[in-house]
Amino acid sequence: MSAQHAIELRALVRGYGRRAVLKGLDLELSPGKVVALFGVNGAGKTTLLRLLATRLRPSDGKALVFGHDVVRDGHEVRKRIATLAVFGGAYATLTAREHLHLDAALRERAVGNADALLERVGLTDAKDALVRTYSSGMRKRLGLARLLAADARLWLLDEPHAALDHDGQDLLDELVRGARERGVTVLMATHERQRSRALSDASLLLDDGRLRRLEPEAAP
Amino acid sequence: MMDASERLRRPAYLRIWGALLVPLFLAAAYLGLVWSPQDVNQGNLIRIMYAHVSVAWIGFVAVGFTALFGALFLWRGKRRDDVLAAASGEMALLYSSLTIIGGMTYSRPTLNTFWTWDAKLTLTALMVALLVGYFIVRALVDDPVRRGRVSAVVAIVVAASLPFNYLAAEWFRTLHPSRSIALDGSGVTMAPEMLFTLLFTTVVAGLIYAWFMVDRARLGHIEAQLEAERAKRELGAAPSAGGVVRV
Amino acid sequence: MNDLLAVLWIARKDLLHETRSKATTVATLFFSAVTLVVLAFAIGQDEQLLRGAATGALWVAIAFAGVISAAQSYQADLEDGAFDHLLTTPVPRAAVYLGKLLANWLFMLVLSLLMLPVTFVLYGAGFPGAWPWLLATVALGTLGFALIAVFYAGLTANLRARESLLPVLMFPIVVPILLASVRASGALVGVGDLELAQGWLRLLVAFDLVYAVLCTAIYHFVVEE
Repeated sequence: MSAQHAIELRALVRGYGRRAVLKGLDLELSPGKVVALFGVNGAGKTTLLRLLATRLRPSDGKALVFGHDVVRDGHEVRKRIATLAVFGGAYATLTAREHLHLDAALRERAVGNADALLERVGLTDAKDALVRTYSSGMRKRLGLARLLAADARLWLLDEPHAALDHDGQDLLDELVRGARERGVTVLMATHERQRSRALSDASLLLDDGRLRRLEPEAAP
Repeated sequence: MMDASERLRRPAYLRIWGALLVPLFLAAAYLGLVWSPQDVNQGNLIRIMYAHVSVAWIGFVAVGFTALFGALFLWRGKRRDDVLAAASGEMALLYSSLTIIGGMTYSRPTLNTFWTWDAKLTLTALMVALLVGYFIVRALVDDPVRRGRVSAVVAIVVAASLPFNYLAAEWFRTLHPSRSIALDGSGVTMAPEMLFTLLFTTVVAGLIYAWFMVDRARLGHIEAQLEAERAKRELGAAPSAGGVVRV
Repeated sequence: MNDLLAVLWIARKDLLHETRSKATTVATLFFSAVTLVVLAFAIGQDEQLLRGAATGALWVAIAFAGVISAAQSYQADLEDGAFDHLLTTPVPRAAVYLGKLLANWLFMLVLSLLMLPVTFVLYGAGFPGAWPWLLATVALGTLGFALIAVFYAGLTANLRARESLLPVLMFPIVVPILLASVRASGALVGVGDLELAQGWLRLLVAFDLVYAVLCTAIYHFVVEE
């Protein structure tokens, strides 16, 4: 239908009980763009990301990812996305390496070089330790490794800079730039004004349940 | 928006149907209490059976419809189906509670105890527990769509359990042969008047169930409409004030 | 084939969680042993009475432990949004259910096999000659419990009051499983009536089949929000 857009929202509404959080979003996002999503706490950034990741259903309106409806074609959407959760989304009783094997089984793909991947995100020493011994920054780094391994066309990142140290934030920026070169579309909910703006093609603001563009097209 | 009193008015077919239920109910009571002959073994006690068995049967049917409307809601996502499922569930809870009361009324004079581990009575007690679980789940989910979907899943699992619960309760009893008499009179040849009375009371119990369910669903639907209108108002006048954001 | 790998990995993840959080796992095992002891105390000294209650006590202990372990398996999932993350991958929801089911079933099987000798000692029941049938009863009974427990624990995991809600929802459904398991193992242990036991086993098989198909088919409604 409209496969030319990486993300397409049409009058998208989502509420919790009686409280409407997203009050009608309309968006067309071209593939290959890196977009920062700003908004105060509770503005609905995570709600929007979870909706695109097929974890929440819209109350009304539509959300399409590469032309696939998040409700009707959830499976097709999930094949094309990779997510980074605020707290890393890892299991406390598995090791880093086991997570990469688990993901490979879930995504029906070969494991690839897990060691090299974990070295890239700086987890070589901890790769066989249980995640429950990790700091929050290390969990985020594991999340980055899983993101890379997924080889997806759309990245949905929830506060990717949070909890990472300075080097980790540099690493994240590098990974996002690399993804952009490969044509990956990135949508990241963030509070890191400077880093995110430097990184992204455009900035969006979620305010009072509506979406608006913060500035005209910025040079990458 | 429709005028409130206009909206709340019961449609004509429901008013006629409701008005017909009164004479039908009286006729059923007459048939059961006066017209039907006494039973050879149980005497006048057989008259309890007309109310008890018909209500029990319709109670089971009501659980089946709750699951059916739930499945429809999962399939089509129409709010009306969820409202009907909930309305049918409420009637199922009412009818199965009445079945338990009826069963106790029947057990007291025949078996000299209020409770027997009769298969059907045990099954009905389980059904009440299952339906209470259904309504607890409904009360715990705030989002209307998610409430409908989760409770539909519960209703389907509950309906599927009834045959197993029945079998287990039936076999459980045969291992402990009690003096309880099969309440539906199976194996006993009934006088034609008795059979007719039983069928008549069952049809009337079914019509009463259906009337209350449809009327309750009507109110539930109005409730849902008001909720949707309130949500729309909260969104403000223009649904997409800023137009499409393009990146 | 690939989906089978996903099932096995999800089961492996849950089982690794069980073995790596030893304290919780041992506590669950110990809980069912304590249940057996307490029930034996409550029944009293009468040997006849004890022997008659043996299989009933065993299955009550298994049922309690089953509810706890199913709820705990989702507890681990909910930490740090790990389950949410897992569900954003293109893994079929049925595979998630079957994986968790497999892990939970295996755990309950191990638990039951540990509790069997405890029951025989505490309740003075004789080990039956037809012990393969007893093992079949245990396997089918625990499968029935796991089917419902894993399904409903997923449903209640995101709700308020989940601790008390899970048993309220689940126990009326598993009444046939409980009855059939108690009766079948009772027939085997007490009188060795194989025919009677087989009748109940057929009910267990039917229950397991129906709910395996039904729960696998509608699990995706349970985990979405």
